[in-house]
Amino acid sequence: MGAATTALDVKSLTKVFHERGNKSVKAVDSISFQVNQGEVLGLLGPNGAGKTTTIKCILGLMRPDTGEIRVFGENVEACYPRVLRNMSAVLEGSRNLYWRLTVWENILFFARLHGVTSREDKAHFENLIRLFSLEDKRNVEVRKLSQGMKQKTSIVCTLARRTPVVFLDEPTLGLDVETSLELRHVLKQLASEENRTIIVSSHNMDVIQDVCRRVIILSQGRIVADDHISDLVSLFKTKAYRIILLEPVPEGLEEALASRFKGATVTGDGRRTEVRVNLLENDDIYTLMDILRDRGAIIDEISNEETDLEKAFLEIVRRERNNHESS
Amino acid sequence: MSGGSGTIMNPVSILVAILQRDWAMMRRYIVNTVSSLVSIYIIFLFIFLGIKGLSSYAAIGALEGTLEGTVIGFFVWTFSVIAYSDLAWSLIVEAQAGTLEQLYLTPAGFKWVAGCTVISNLALNFVPVVLLLVVMMATTGQWLNLDFISLVPLLLITILGAYGFGFALGGLALVYKRLQAIFQVFQFVLIGFLVVPQRLPWAKFLPLSLGNSLIYDVMVDGVRLWELPTGSVLTALLVGAAYFAIGVVIFSVCENIAKDRGLLGHY
Repeated sequence: MGAATTALDVKSLTKVFHERGNKSVKAVDSISFQVNQGEVLGLLGPNGAGKTTTIKCILGLMRPDTGEIRVFGENVEACYPRVLRNMSAVLEGSRNLYWRLTVWENILFFARLHGVTSREDKAHFENLIRLFSLEDKRNVEVRKLSQGMKQKTSIVCTLARRTPVVFLDEPTLGLDVETSLELRHVLKQLASEENRTIIVSSHNMDVIQDVCRRVIILSQGRIVADDHISDLVSLFKTKAYRIILLEPVPEGLEEALASRFKGATVTGDGRRTEVRVNLLENDDIYTLMDILRDRGAIIDEISNEETDLEKAFLEIVRRERNNHESS
Repeated sequence: MSGGSGTIMNPVSILVAILQRDWAMMRRYIVNTVSSLVSIYIIFLFIFLGIKGLSSYAAIGALEGTLEGTVIGFFVWTFSVIAYSDLAWSLIVEAQAGTLEQLYLTPAGFKWVAGCTVISNLALNFVPVVLLLVVMMATTGQWLNLDFISLVPLLLITILGAYGFGFALGGLALVYKRLQAIFQVFQFVLIGFLVVPQRLPWAKFLPLSLGNSLIYDVMVDGVRLWELPTGSVLTALLVGAAYFAIGVVIFSVCENIAKDRGLLGHY
């Protein structure tokens, strides 16, 4: 198995916006990362974390203050705009289209700007239209389409340029559940069949978790996590349990749990009681059972609360904020 | 799909793409196109009736108090307004709509996209504006010499300066955004350039001015392009090219500022 080709190499990228009154905001703060060819990378972060700025700096739409960006070994600054033959992007979804042109006219226009015009390319466009279920809308003006259809057309226009690196900034914005699932399927297919490098920035954790293997989390312009999703999730795996009792809150239970398990909660509706508790040690489960048995509690259900990417993300960002504030 | 296997940059492909886009838009916005031509004609009609009503009218300069001067001045002005405003407006509209950043992702560079937009705009507007000229001639009864072989190169030389203004204003609009009011005012500044008398020594260095005077010679006196004084034609060309170059430089400076401040996608 040969070494993977580096598609994108970002080194010490910094972008500062200067505001009035000599104020400045560091939107991206010395970030470095690499993306291999064929990899699907997720870019996560709260609003204002620097995701879009990072993407726009890579695409040359914003000028970074410092840092070096290479796409397939070519320095973006030195080889601009020629280097763009390797990159395309969905930046503002449906706003990236000419609403007075039809779906097909938009595809042809943007592909032509990239010099993608052959007969084989047109067959590829037809295939994309089919993949995104836009056959019926091929000759319809974009302004007459629903928000989801516009979003899909925008993605098709980007993919039609056949660039090896594709950036998708919030690609699922305005898509319904079914269409979002369709998009995830197509992205996975494109990455595996066409070996495209795809960088997806989204607030939709389900999309990132489903499509990407690796994720970079940005917070306040810095990379706070860069790992495989499975590793990130396991890092934050907790022994959090939810127990349902078939009775009102037993007397003294709340105090007993609070004294032994920090943050344990007990809530009841008069007929049933819900206990939430986070176990730290392996034998804590036995102590918990002892406390419940001592109060004669009738257990109806016990479940382990699973950690997903969203929980891991929230925890990472929360810790980063705390660290930042305390420093 | 590997890096560097991307397509070859092809300006012809860009020109075809933009011509197809603009033609499709023009067809769909046909009412807009026709109504803007009708508005220009109505303005012309008012001026024409005003001139007829003022027997003492003896304006100096390119109009020279003649109906021919008015028709030609109006013809050149219409072309110039279309030239500068279409480019500048399209930059604003594209930034507003969200397509400008996509155009900036063209591997050949945005300057090719802008250049092809200029050519497309000229090609698609030529026939309607010439038709407007014919209507103006019919209205005034002044049938002018339409020697296209002489007229088209002179027209291109003349409106080169107007395109320079288009680039400059478009660039400023990328940074300062809401410049629509300046665009409107600028239409009247262009009239000023057209009516400045050529006997003033510095008049030939103004945009549009000398070119308009040469067009007058062709359309009224029937002079052919190669019969015009070479010095005057070259001066008109150099002046037009200089204003065009200044416009492109201003655009480039503004483009750099917009990229530094991250304003390309903002409106």
